[in-house]
Amino acid sequence: MSVEAMPVENLFTESQLNVKNKKIQSLYRVLFLLMTLLLILPVLIILGTLIVKGGSMISIDFLFTDPVNGMTEGGVFPALLGTVFLVSLALLISVPLGIAAAIYLSEYASENWFTRAINLAIINLAGVPSIVHALFGVGAFVMFFGFGTSILAASLTLAIMTLPVVIVSTRESLQAVPHAFREACWNMGATRWQTIRRVVLPNAVSGILTGVILEVSRTTGETAPIMFTGAVFFLPFLPQGVFDQTMALSLHLFVVTTQVPNVPEQLPYAVALVLIGMVLLMNSISIAFRMYLRSKKKW
Amino acid sequence: MNKKQLTIYSLFALSISMISAQVQARTVIQNKGSDTLVNVAQAWAEEYRNIDKNVAVAVSGGGSGTGIAALINGTVDIANASRAMKQKEIDRAKKKGQNPIQHIVGYDALAVFLHHNSPINELSFEQLKEIFGRGGKATKWSDLDVTVPGCKQDKIVVVSRQNNSGTYAYFKKAALGKKGKFRQGTLDMHGSKDVVDLVEKTPCAIGYSGLAYANEHVKMACISKKTGDACVNPSVATASDRSYPIARPLFMYTNGEPAGETKKYLDWILSDKGQCILLKKGYAPVKDVKCD
Repeated sequence: MSVEAMPVENLFTESQLNVKNKKIQSLYRVLFLLMTLLLILPVLIILGTLIVKGGSMISIDFLFTDPVNGMTEGGVFPALLGTVFLVSLALLISVPLGIAAAIYLSEYASENWFTRAINLAIINLAGVPSIVHALFGVGAFVMFFGFGTSILAASLTLAIMTLPVVIVSTRESLQAVPHAFREACWNMGATRWQTIRRVVLPNAVSGILTGVILEVSRTTGETAPIMFTGAVFFLPFLPQGVFDQTMALSLHLFVVTTQVPNVPEQLPYAVALVLIGMVLLMNSISIAFRMYLRSKKKW
Repeated sequence: MNKKQLTIYSLFALSISMISAQVQARTVIQNKGSDTLVNVAQAWAEEYRNIDKNVAVAVSGGGSGTGIAALINGTVDIANASRAMKQKEIDRAKKKGQNPIQHIVGYDALAVFLHHNSPINELSFEQLKEIFGRGGKATKWSDLDVTVPGCKQDKIVVVSRQNNSGTYAYFKKAALGKKGKFRQGTLDMHGSKDVVDLVEKTPCAIGYSGLAYANEHVKMACISKKTGDACVNPSVATASDRSYPIARPLFMYTNGEPAGETKKYLDWILSDKGQCILLKKGYAPVKDVKCD
């Protein structure tokens, strides 16, 4: 067993076994690398196809004019604006609600059956398919609360659908703030709320933003929850209030792809490109903001 | 802190302004239903903006059944339908306190679409029954004594519509008879355009859809009521004079006699201007119109 027992010249050369293990190791490395590349491939193909087929149609005019001539010409302005309205109202509703719920769950709630039940409910809410949320939105907001098919009803539906994302990501980022921070604060005589307000939340902001980004991306693309609750095929005016209906990019994409005859071939691709571009733009703004915040973090 | 407060206040102000902007006066006409009519309804709404700025028409599709259901629930001003309301639906509407009034706004020819390579030029009602009907004998193209280039399996791919579609209901009644049923295993598409798109790409396929959804890449069969009779090609003209055998009226339903802005809108739709828009979209107008 001792080193002396082995022949000295073999001590620093590889044994058969070592060579074999190394080969297997590099094989796995390549395999996993390929898997990763495979993941990026669809993104590149989608973006590439959209840009090649629809890029030529994108212009300032396309973004800021109404669709004309049976939606086969003109731009996407009402749909673009509608999506912005829907998403921002949904954010206004779900972000404060979600953060408040997450603060309660992370900072105040004690570990008992009640908290566990709430957690279970949140996980289940996250798993509900969007079409079911849509029908819930029709029943609850459109009919029961009497909002009618409106931006308000659609945004509420979207907000409820994305609440779990905000809650879970916020709770996680709150819990990532070291417990010692809180204890230090309490020892200075601060109340629980003061601690949360001045220490925990500022330190968790970047994580909370991640949740918001995810929510923005998801709400922008959703079609099912809005098509029964607030979005319409065509509207000859821009929405002027939350009780108006609106056009939306995602539904517009569905409509020009499957419903309208004689659409020029580039149009659906261009609409899809605008939709994706919007998500990417919002994502990159918030990622940049998050990086800025993180650079100021002291731990 | 100040920056944060500023953002919070501005977000708050934004939401308030969104709500308060509502006060402005404007009449919105809710218009929903048939996928066959949705594109012409959209064209009407688009043009009506130039006629009356204070009236806006919100258009959505979903199928005749969707529009009629919305009328029964009282959530639309005008329901579009490519079939007449059934007695059962009228009863349900009456029970809910609605009084559906029917208006014919145009005519549509239902074309039978084939792949452009298909050697078939004309079809009779008997053949349609064999192809589309339950228990029909034609399941292969060779049953009709043709070989379709590009269709290797020889099996007829029958393309139909989802069952809340007015097009589905009308074709069933017109081509398969009152008690007729579609064969099982049809591909039920969720829109008039989907049918045409699928047939365009599938050599084995045959399907039916509104004439307005035709394009130059698909073929439309010439239809005769009986084998051996002279067949009629689907067109706006043959739909207008009712010589094409599968032409149907297109309806708009209102709750009670139309009044106010809804009445003005419907009158405009039936005027020369409105009917010319319908004609341009590939449907047959309800009266003779001169369009430029």
